[in-house]
Amino acid sequence: MSLTSITNKGFTNAVVSLAVKTLKVRYKNSLIGIFWSMLNPLLFLVILYIVFSQFAKGSDASLNYPLYALSGLIFWNFISASILQVLTSFIDNGDILKSVNLDPIAFPFASMLAAIFNLFLSFIPFLAILYFLDYQLSWSILAVIPYVLITSVFVTGLGMLLGTLNVYFRDIQLLWTTLMPAFFYFTPIAYPPSLIPEKFQWLIKINPFYFFIDAVHQIFHDGEFPSMENSMVMIGLAVGCYLLGYIVFMRLRKGFISNI
Amino acid sequence: MIKLSDVDIAFHIQENGFVSLKDFALNLGKHSFLKKKYILKDIDLEIYEGECVGLLGKNGSGKSTLLRTLSGIIIPTKGKIDIRGSVAPLLGLGVGLEKELNGIENIKLLCALMGMTKKEIKDLMPGIIEFSELGDAVNWQVKRYSTGMTSRLAFSIAIMKNPDILLIDEVLSVGDIGFQRKCQRKVEEIMSNGATVIFVSHAFEEVQRMCNRAVLINEGSIQLDGTVDEVGKHYHSLFD
Repeated sequence: MSLTSITNKGFTNAVVSLAVKTLKVRYKNSLIGIFWSMLNPLLFLVILYIVFSQFAKGSDASLNYPLYALSGLIFWNFISASILQVLTSFIDNGDILKSVNLDPIAFPFASMLAAIFNLFLSFIPFLAILYFLDYQLSWSILAVIPYVLITSVFVTGLGMLLGTLNVYFRDIQLLWTTLMPAFFYFTPIAYPPSLIPEKFQWLIKINPFYFFIDAVHQIFHDGEFPSMENSMVMIGLAVGCYLLGYIVFMRLRKGFISNI
Repeated sequence: MIKLSDVDIAFHIQENGFVSLKDFALNLGKHSFLKKKYILKDIDLEIYEGECVGLLGKNGSGKSTLLRTLSGIIIPTKGKIDIRGSVAPLLGLGVGLEKELNGIENIKLLCALMGMTKKEIKDLMPGIIEFSELGDAVNWQVKRYSTGMTSRLAFSIAIMKNPDILLIDEVLSVGDIGFQRKCQRKVEEIMSNGATVIFVSHAFEEVQRMCNRAVLINEGSIQLDGTVDEVGKHYHSLFD
């Protein structure tokens, strides 16, 4: 695309360097570093346990509530935080975008990569906690790798779509930060979907986040690989969202320099 | 060699608010909601290997936009740009520096942003550290640097690539006099190796000393192209 197009190797190095920078800066002056990304879900778990566990148990006796809620929370935090980071990546890197010849798609990629690093760094302590919550280690844990990959494609697409529009209308960012907490309650993250009355069940199925959280519950709570149907929906959403985000980005990137 | 034929550069500006976004979405992206604002129009310019060309013009005349286009950051709206050789843009100096990281980490980061591979960075590292004369300070966090030290670091990173074409946007006057002289010597060294330099500066003496050709840009088009003295006269008359 660019006149003096950089080699692919150079592009990859730029993306990785930006991601590493993000993580280094985030934890540079912090005492407990990566453990911060665990404290938030643990704190939420305590609150949700107090409020919701009786409810949840009532609808499904076999439910291991702490395990169910915590695994949901961990991945919800990953999804919601990474969407926001990808969304703001163009604006956050505005100065670089204006004076370095680097394809701007590097910024959403780097933000996504940083979020993935962050998730996997916090994974080992999380597994230890899940173990205390009676998590039975099974082969299904291997599904996490393709799961994170597919989810990242979905998040990058959605973030790139919103992020591109956000360059022109900063309302998008404000709208999204308002919507995200609503989605937290609207998505069955810390409660089983069976808690929703029959007549509202269709609402769940039109929420794309439901499928990504459902897969996490299947992997960690049920100890199973995500169902074929669920996997297909996730792949469809990921590919669809990525294509849409990419097309909108390609169409509107020409105005980035004059609107950031 | 650099050749621009009939180049137009426009900014794409969004000014109609959500009405235009609706239009964009309903037409599936066929109607652009961005309005074109021409910054440069009908630019024909040929710069040969080894030349040092000074770009003169008022603030906002489009000099920096032209440099950004030559470095590939802006894609021209119309026309053809032909560039042979590697380009090193010295535009906003220090952009991308991360204050929380130390000097060495910043060298790696900025070089990576410029598209270098890990190996290229490793090879250039000693030269960059030496040129910056920062000594032990390369291990400090950049937030503890003075302004001059930050500029030294940024300039050393930008200049060490030994490019075929060097684009300089008013960044030569950084650091103390000693470092300024060193930067000028480095640019002269790069020039003597046959590199092309395009130089934007408001310090006319600097242009006079370094360049053998000057181009005056006014209101988005090339008004005059010739010797430094000739173009300088016109440039100064713009302000009379």
